[in-house]
Amino acid sequence: MKLVALVCAIVGTTCGSAAGPAGAGALAVVALAFLAAQGRWRLAAGGAAVVAVLGVLLALIRFAGLRMAVFSEFHVLMFWNLSPVFLTGWALVSTPPGELSSFLSRVGAPTAVILGVLVAFRFFPTMRAAVSATAASMRNRGLAEAGSVARHPLRTCEYVAVPLLLRCVQVADQLAVSATARGADSPGARGSYHVRKLDARGVAWMALWLVAAGAVSIGGALMDGVR
Amino acid sequence: MSARCEGSAAGAEACEAASGAAGARACGTAEGAAGGAPVSSARGVASGASAVELRGASFRYEDGDAGVEGVDLVVHPGECVVLTGPSGSGKTTVTRLVNGLAPAYWHGELAGEVRIGGIDAAALPLWERGRAVASVFQDPASQFFSFELAGEVAFACENYGMPTREIVERTDACIAAFDLERVRDRPLDALSSGEKQRVAVASAVAPGSRVLVCDEPTANLDADGAALLASQVAQLKAAGCAVLVSEHRLAWLAGIADRYAYLEGGQVRWQRSASEMEALSAGERERFGLRSASAVALPELARPEDARTSADGTAPSLEARRLACRRGGHTIWEDVSFRAWPGQVVALTGRNGAGKSTLARVLAGLARQSAGEVLVGGRALRSAARRRRVFYGANDTATQFFTSSVSDELLLGRVRDEGLIARARDTLGRLGLMPFKDAHPATLSGGQRQRLALACGLLSDRPVLVFDEPTSGLDGASMRIVATALSEAARAGRTVIVITHDGELAERCCTCRLRMEELA
Repeated sequence: MKLVALVCAIVGTTCGSAAGPAGAGALAVVALAFLAAQGRWRLAAGGAAVVAVLGVLLALIRFAGLRMAVFSEFHVLMFWNLSPVFLTGWALVSTPPGELSSFLSRVGAPTAVILGVLVAFRFFPTMRAAVSATAASMRNRGLAEAGSVARHPLRTCEYVAVPLLLRCVQVADQLAVSATARGADSPGARGSYHVRKLDARGVAWMALWLVAAGAVSIGGALMDGVR
Repeated sequence: MSARCEGSAAGAEACEAASGAAGARACGTAEGAAGGAPVSSARGVASGASAVELRGASFRYEDGDAGVEGVDLVVHPGECVVLTGPSGSGKTTVTRLVNGLAPAYWHGELAGEVRIGGIDAAALPLWERGRAVASVFQDPASQFFSFELAGEVAFACENYGMPTREIVERTDACIAAFDLERVRDRPLDALSSGEKQRVAVASAVAPGSRVLVCDEPTANLDADGAALLASQVAQLKAAGCAVLVSEHRLAWLAGIADRYAYLEGGQVRWQRSASEMEALSAGERERFGLRSASAVALPELARPEDARTSADGTAPSLEARRLACRRGGHTIWEDVSFRAWPGQVVALTGRNGAGKSTLARVLAGLARQSAGEVLVGGRALRSAARRRRVFYGANDTATQFFTSSVSDELLLGRVRDEGLIARARDTLGRLGLMPFKDAHPATLSGGQRQRLALACGLLSDRPVLVFDEPTSGLDGASMRIVATALSEAARAGRTVIVITHDGELAERCCTCRLRMEELA
């Protein structure tokens, strides 16, 4: 469902570009409602605030001739047009890994791919913890003093890289052992704890996305024709 | 038993097993679940068979690492056997022979016989072995594949391709039985180390394994974490699960372990019952390099100002004045004041999550306080200046080393004069690291790495040394080496602060005690 939403947002944004800011705005509203309907309140609220700010800026540029030095009107328009894609993309990326793996096993992805996705998701928080621990050890050992960093930039890089790489290898090894001990190489299809059957609400949302993307695209094409 | 479990035979069985009801079948669902899971022959048990049986089992690692030789060991259903002995004695290898990771993952040559539930393990593919034998390792955080509880507990069941209904039943039953329901909505990374290890055990036994193998499961756990794990292991044992634990820390297993097997040089030297083990004299324990098999409480020591002796310095070397630490609107501790003198080894104790490590990092200038000041040698110092006078040895040694050999690590960032090199040699010798002086720090065992971190601190010339749980994964012999080294550092006029739950360590070297609950 989230995938359909993302594809619709991309198609709508690309094909409906001629429909101008109104089309993108309509898709952004659908995306925000979509997030809210999934209970992603914080994401929806944050997204709404960003879209609102962009909208106000856009209106000021259009009708009041606002000129900005740093964040140009081009950027405002670009972010405005792409906001539906960002919102739906974020909804997909921030899905719990369990649901993603369940989706992948339903569509018949090989176990190696599913485990790869799960490991990739685990990797970033683990490395973030390793980076902060390494920084603390460097300061503790006096390796992070501004003077020594400036005088020996290469050596400093080595100090950062060595423990991080070792930690990486270690974590990879432990994950592999943990997976092996829990039947990761078991033959046959993988099961899943999360079941997301497509219910009436899901179908309704997919229909809404298709209609919205279609309307914006057709609207864009018509406006092109008028011009 | 929760209503959720009662819904199905499979769930009920797992619940029953885990909650230790009388006459419960082995952990999880031994004889096949009502959900129609494929039951392999491997999981059917010949009646009266031992759960694990090693007969003359020998293993030699392909890369030349020492393995084990002629190991005879039996673990019956409902029995807990502890493998103990010095580091490198082959305890871990025995656990790998049982769960099949040697030779399947760690290649090498296997001789002799390994039987699981009466069936020759050589006939089982590794993934089937994984279903019969649940494995738990040292570091719970790096075993996880998921961010959330249910996904993690379900992981193995998912791998075995069980139908969704059965996966949900088994997972929910395990979560309920091990009292994990209250952490269901919290991210796994935010759990305490003990809770993480509980999740790791739940996840390992969820597919219905009847044997649990743990390789130093408390190496990264504090005392509270070990107690959490202990209750869980007792529960599984009561449910008929055979438990094999390789461990240095023995106290948490008191009342759970039925038998101890002592390994040395890859061979089982002796086996003793729990009562024989408890009767070992201090001298015998020391000879075998063992830790106490019964819990050793932290000694009741006075506060540093009351424990001063004539040998201690006159002016305090470290002083905290009304320190406070707030993170994200939440106060970790506030109004913390204390003083410590040269010549003291101060035990800093307190419950899990009380902020001991945060306090240590603030003292060492690695984290900033929200209020108050830290004085070293009588002068209030900012964090950058504190870092030059206070050494901090973290509990997690994974990211503490930067060079390619133990001796380079000791001399890192120092002017290498003869005096320093001689001291480095002496320190390595006293900490038993001389044979590893050219080894890469990453190839050392956890206990050796902890001793290396200690060596770096001792050689740092800083007047205040702070160590965070320096003995958590150490055997008795290494723990005694650490205790002696800390005492000697204090005698040389330094102040040592050691965060610890280790009663044996505190008894040997600490001269005074700061309780976090009295400080904050």
